[in-house]
Amino acid sequence: MLFRRIYQFLIVYCLGLTCLLAIKYGAGLSNYVIPGLTLIFDTAHRMLAGYFLDVLNTLSVTVLGQMISIFMAFFVGIIGRKSSWAGSFIKVMAYNIQAYPIVALAPIIFILMGDGFLSRLLIASMICYFPLLLSVLGIMASPIKDIEHFYIATGRMRWQLEVKIRAFENLNKLTTVIAGSATLAMAGTIVAEFIAADQGIGYSIRIALYQSDLACILVALFSIGIIISVYQGILETVGEQMKTKWFAPKGGDLL
Amino acid sequence: MNQKINTIAVIRAGVMVLCMTLFCALPPAFAGDTLNYRLKWLFNTSVVGDIIADTGGFFKKAGLDVSVNEGGAGKNAIKELELGYADFGVASADQVIRALEKGADVVVLAQLFQVNPMQWIYRSDQSEIKTLSDLKGRHIGVTFGGNDETIMNTLLAKAGLTSKDVRISSVRFDFTPFLKKEVDVWPVYRNSQGVILEERLAAEGEQVKFFNPANYGVSFVANSVVTSGAMMKKHPDTVKTFMTALLSAWEFAVDPANEAQVLAQIKKKDNGTRDDIRQKQLEATRPLIKPDPGTKIGVIDARAWRQTENIMVREKQIVTPVDVINCLVGPKKRKMP
Repeated sequence: MLFRRIYQFLIVYCLGLTCLLAIKYGAGLSNYVIPGLTLIFDTAHRMLAGYFLDVLNTLSVTVLGQMISIFMAFFVGIIGRKSSWAGSFIKVMAYNIQAYPIVALAPIIFILMGDGFLSRLLIASMICYFPLLLSVLGIMASPIKDIEHFYIATGRMRWQLEVKIRAFENLNKLTTVIAGSATLAMAGTIVAEFIAADQGIGYSIRIALYQSDLACILVALFSIGIIISVYQGILETVGEQMKTKWFAPKGGDLL
Repeated sequence: MNQKINTIAVIRAGVMVLCMTLFCALPPAFAGDTLNYRLKWLFNTSVVGDIIADTGGFFKKAGLDVSVNEGGAGKNAIKELELGYADFGVASADQVIRALEKGADVVVLAQLFQVNPMQWIYRSDQSEIKTLSDLKGRHIGVTFGGNDETIMNTLLAKAGLTSKDVRISSVRFDFTPFLKKEVDVWPVYRNSQGVILEERLAAEGEQVKFFNPANYGVSFVANSVVTSGAMMKKHPDTVKTFMTALLSAWEFAVDPANEAQVLAQIKKKDNGTRDDIRQKQLEATRPLIKPDPGTKIGVIDARAWRQTENIMVREKQIVTPVDVINCLVGPKKRKMP
């Protein structure tokens, strides 16, 4: 899973780069508009190590932001699943806040929290949280009638059991959503760094953009792509292992 | 085996179709009669001459059909010249020098700002910055990666100060750290943000001063009008007519006698700014464009360009010198006797 993720990313990256180079050489553009291969390699030689550290810095905030988002999404999703009013209220709120551009909300966040770690964490969580919440709410609010009916009829239904049944029956969906939300959390952290932080890959991209240095941006994108592929690969592998454990009862065989 | 060959053929065909589509998407340079003029930033008082050239009919009178397009973050006139999206543009000296280093075909037709509007604002209740050594111990804002960082580094080096002698903070798009007095000296564009901040602090009973690097021998060139070398060669008459119309518009725009007319034209393009602020911004813009009555608008200060290049080499913004003087094709400022 992990290696597949990485080589899939490499294929996409190489295709994108080939298209750019085809345009460059086809239209006879200078290195200022689209950098040539030599310039990209030179830039990678100079910047790649630093950019990897920057991405790791960004990733540390991303992981934390995603964990907070998952916890919050499950907490609110489980609470909001019963009441139709509360559920619909949370959904409307989530849709509305998602619609606000984060660049418009960012100044308020920076005034309240400064432009350090907390602002990055909050923006990463915000961008990642709402899509997760909507998925979790959707899953938790949909009864699995065939199974739940038995426990309700026998009077053994508790809220923990209800949550377990719905999570178990939608495990594929949940693991996909959680793995997918990693990219959202990463994007959120990069946006926050781009707007106001003084560290992380978003901040480095901002500097490269100030200097119209596309070679630096391509190297930064490569670093982000590799690390997010590894992170997503790990999440998916963990998801697969969880599924295997859940589906195979203790001491029994996997069907 | 056959299947493998088929797959390779399909991939090749796909890449070719993609490339052809992308090439077709690039518009040819100077395709129609309309000339595209890409500004560096949004419509505001800073680009008053460009606005007047358009809405005041200067281009039309010269027989040109010009589309004056706003700039902004992520817009780059030099790249657009090369891609054929623009025929003329406004770019800062550092953009021109970076582009030359990477082989872009760009020439400078006129230097709009004789004095760089990038300056630093500080409160009057702080001790005045009379010499560069007065920067010692101050908390200074800079945009990392921006021009102001390069300029400040040069000023500090000139004063014999290091980054340990001052406190440097990263600047973002809002003024909160300066307003909250967390940062003492804040970079602003003197004629736009500078006016707004000055007004805002005056409303709170605070006075401000501006620290202009040019007064300390650091002349880092700001906005200039550029075009491509190819355009200059193929359509010299169009370039000449365009520049004559544009510079006449700038002369008209900074003439105090035309103030009411000029402000009315700016308002059409920038109606989000208060009338009194716009008027003050215009007042602040005049001395940056025409520092004294004898200055011809648009003259190129070759000495300042050379200094800008030297600063960029020293600050490692470019690796090799580009001999920027060779791309300055507009009229040059006469050397002082």
